[in-house]
Amino acid sequence: MPDFPISGYHGRVLVADLTRGEVRTVPLDPDTALSYLGGRGLATRLLYDTIEPACDPLGPDNAFVIASSPLVGSGAPTAGRGHMVFKSPLTGVIGTSNSGGTWGAAFKSAGYDALVVTGASASPVTIDITPERAEILPADHLWGRTIHETNDALAAASEPGRPARVLCIGPAGENLVRFAAVANDRNRVYGRCGPGAVWGAKKLKAVRVRGREKIAVADPEKYKSGLDQAIYLMKQAPVTKRLMRDLGTAGLVELINLIAMLPHKNFQDCLHRDEDVERISGETLAKTVLEKAGSCYLCPIGCQRHTRVAGRDGGEERGEGPEYETMVLMGPLCGIYDMAAITRANYRANELGLDTMSFGGTLACAMELAERGLIGREEAGGLDLAFGSADALEALVVMTARREGLGAALAEGSFRLAAGRGRPECAMTVKKLEIPAYDPRASLTQALGYMTSPTGACHLRGGYAVSLAFFGGAREIPRFSLLQSPIAIRNMQNVGILQDSLGVCRFTGYAFSADPWARMASGVTGRDFSVARLEEIENRVATLERQFNVEAGVTADDDSLPARFADVPIIVEGKERRVTREDQDRMKRDYYAVRGWDASGRPAPELLRSLRIEESRR
Amino acid sequence: MTIKAKFFAHFRDLFGGRTRDLTVAGGASAGDALEALCDTPERRAEVFSGGELKPHIVVMLNGVPIQSLKGLSTPLAPGDTLAVFPILGGG
Repeated sequence: MPDFPISGYHGRVLVADLTRGEVRTVPLDPDTALSYLGGRGLATRLLYDTIEPACDPLGPDNAFVIASSPLVGSGAPTAGRGHMVFKSPLTGVIGTSNSGGTWGAAFKSAGYDALVVTGASASPVTIDITPERAEILPADHLWGRTIHETNDALAAASEPGRPARVLCIGPAGENLVRFAAVANDRNRVYGRCGPGAVWGAKKLKAVRVRGREKIAVADPEKYKSGLDQAIYLMKQAPVTKRLMRDLGTAGLVELINLIAMLPHKNFQDCLHRDEDVERISGETLAKTVLEKAGSCYLCPIGCQRHTRVAGRDGGEERGEGPEYETMVLMGPLCGIYDMAAITRANYRANELGLDTMSFGGTLACAMELAERGLIGREEAGGLDLAFGSADALEALVVMTARREGLGAALAEGSFRLAAGRGRPECAMTVKKLEIPAYDPRASLTQALGYMTSPTGACHLRGGYAVSLAFFGGAREIPRFSLLQSPIAIRNMQNVGILQDSLGVCRFTGYAFSADPWARMASGVTGRDFSVARLEEIENRVATLERQFNVEAGVTADDDSLPARFADVPIIVEGKERRVTREDQDRMKRDYYAVRGWDASGRPAPELLRSLRIEESRR
Repeated sequence: MTIKAKFFAHFRDLFGGRTRDLTVAGGASAGDALEALCDTPERRAEVFSGGELKPHIVVMLNGVPIQSLKGLSTPLAPGDTLAVFPILGGG
């Protein structure tokens, strides 16, 4: 293949057709690289060009795409994340999932910019990728094994200077649990939207990568000026300098409670006793189960929690986490404040390959249905399904991964669980994706983020408005501003698109925004990736995601919160707060206008042309 | 009057506990309460830069950042809760 004209890219996309059992390399189009950058942007474009958005997400016509970026391999801080895009079996709309760890950087060093996997194998397989060859290998001996076992077995092929990194599914993915996850490095998880089930339907157990391929840097001086700026700012910012390392993301638990945003009992309210919240705080985690902090590839922040906890039968267990989302959604959302139980259940989720967020949301929904007499003790196999039951948490995480007993119903996610009992209003989801651990009644901006996130209710793709509620000074906007929320959340969503398309971590955003990335991206590639051009790319990707979703059947009605948030208030700062239907409609309408979409939330043909979003090449 | 101060993250170690009841004069402001809490050079150095709060310090009165109220001049009432902590982040 002739040299690719843009530095930072290999110019090669690996396409694996699992139906035919073939892999082939296709060239990356330079214009696509310049227009979509990498990571989430590039993967979305490649997916859009590969599948019909109306396809069956668990059928052979679905695909998943993982794309790297020009910064991966350059040594930029945190630049090694992977981003995966697919049609989600949980939501039926675009699914995107992101993770740190080492696989992303190793994939780039194997000599490719993106991996596209289509079709389905009749029997279990892995894909093995080195610069010399890429092949599909039989994997019957691995089918049924946990994420940890699979990772360790395949990582044994590491050579000095060429470590083998493994991305794999566990039993949950094999059993097509709709919120099954894919993991690398044992505990670094591509968690949301159910990619594990997509892999499981394709009978793909793992993708292993190793290599030493380097990228060229076109303008080292410009790159270095951006790098120096980034490193300096990360050392200045307290969050990235020290606070994440001390407390991890669970440091947020007490603070979110302080601003009356901490969810409780399937979002029935936000009322907790202080002494209960203390039991699951980051401070308590640091004093009890934490062994040490850890970092992803090239990351100075160190927010990973390596922990150990007493096993249920004595002895000691080790693993990673819990993170904030897990602690809350498998904790107070289910009425549980038992950190040891939450930690053990987290370990099971990591081993079996389940999204802790959707599992917690689905369990909380099941507990509410049980409270209403719609799931009986017999159906639960004798388990106590009341809110607060740590026994139910620890038993059902395993049963759900295996689709055993009541776990088979939970494996379908909270929306299908509740709808199946005639109570869809008990599922706290947007587009069937379970809502994260921030109550939207406590922030209209966050509410709008959940409504308009392309993947369903998500604080990472929908825009992270919570820090806006905390921080004084220029960055703060009032929590309950109808007027400011649409632009504010659009801006936060775009920041996320940029970070996901560069393969870098959200937490760098606490130290700096676009300017250092613009210098680094322009420096590596020798092309114009100025802040203005990056914004154009962000808008292009956001609208392409929406276009995909429109073709998958999404309408403006889907950009709405469950009725509870409009009908049942919570108390914030002494006032009753809810997100009325009128407010939802108004913010939604203004958001569409800000995005340039029509009043029904559809991108008009003129917009697609002006953003240079070409028609699909599928 | 009595107000309650709450601390988070490493400020619990810095200020010697999770909470502290503070007696301040009637009409006292958030700034007055913070001055009273920063009763050692170490505490003062962590929170203040000159007469201003350091940029990474968050102070909330009954759950509202004081920047949305009247900053350090925000008046206090009996029974108020003042939360003091460094900026945190999460996911």
